[in-house]
Amino acid sequence: MAAIIAFVLFGIGVVALVLRRDLVIKLLALGLINAASILFLVSIGDRPGARAPIQLPGDLGIVADPLPQALVLSAIVVNFAILALALVFVMILVERYHTTDSIRIEQEMAREADDQETPCL
Amino acid sequence: MTRDRLRIIFAVGIIAAFVGLIGITYICSSPDPADSERYLARAVEETGASNRVAGIYLNYRLLDTLLEVLVFSVAVLGVRHYLQQSEGMKLPNLSESEVVQTAVNFLAPLALLLCTFFAVFGHISPGGGFAAGVIAASGLLYVAIAHGIQAMNAQLNPVRLALMEKVILLVLLAFVLAPAVAGRIPLTELLPTGTPGKLLSGGSILVYNILIAMKVFVGAWAVIAAFAQHRGEL
Repeated sequence: MAAIIAFVLFGIGVVALVLRRDLVIKLLALGLINAASILFLVSIGDRPGARAPIQLPGDLGIVADPLPQALVLSAIVVNFAILALALVFVMILVERYHTTDSIRIEQEMAREADDQETPCL
Repeated sequence: MTRDRLRIIFAVGIIAAFVGLIGITYICSSPDPADSERYLARAVEETGASNRVAGIYLNYRLLDTLLEVLVFSVAVLGVRHYLQQSEGMKLPNLSESEVVQTAVNFLAPLALLLCTFFAVFGHISPGGGFAAGVIAASGLLYVAIAHGIQAMNAQLNPVRLALMEKVILLVLLAFVLAPAVAGRIPLTELLPTGTPGKLLSGGSILVYNILIAMKVFVGAWAVIAAFAQHRGEL
């Protein structure tokens, strides 16, 4: 069940990342994709009736697989790093072009490039 | 000029330490078919940490975790660098109402207490260095929202914090490389494993958790402070 939810969230994230023009929404979609991946990885370590992989004294019950949980930590930290850096780049673009619309930013950049190529005609 | 040179030496030192670490590990390690069943069956016994996840990422997969910490440091460095280059908006600084300030004065110490608990008991209960660092940084974020970022920066000097972050990274690297001085393979256990479930168990995991918590706390705060300073307020 959790895996299906993860795939749905991943799909929503990819669609939003490709189709939405707003850069901040694109970043949110990237965060959603990351959260979906984490949910998927943690869910594949689950077993029926399993508990958290922490050993208590005299406890021999079924526990979840700890390996995906340990690997997911890297995904969380890298996601934080990517989002923080990407947010800085978005802030710089917004300060320069006064919009978060990716297509308008591209148009402005193309216009600037044209202006530089044909000076004082 | 000398400061720039010092910085370059510092950066080259950190990069060289990481490259050396990867090289030594590659030469010394023998391939071992470690799968999750083995982790499940023997992780607690081999690492001494009741929390198997902590046992895996701070013992078997310590190199991954170190590179993760390096990625985090690079991100903090990038955020500070690029935000310093652009001008910023400089919004007027407004502090919150007295109700929010009183609530935050009560909540922030609790966040720091929770951070300490998660860092110190991360190897025997749910928690760990990364979570603890983020909790402490969010506690500080409450204070910055309530009392204003200027008041926070007066207490915590951002330049000194950035230096502290790098020093913690170096201490972490030194601790990882320390077994090499004793004639053993780096990344292997330096401290005794102890009895699982006791506070002083899990070998070096306790030390790593505390160091990573400090590192993540300082790094996350450096990012928040850089953003806040750039905008003028939170």
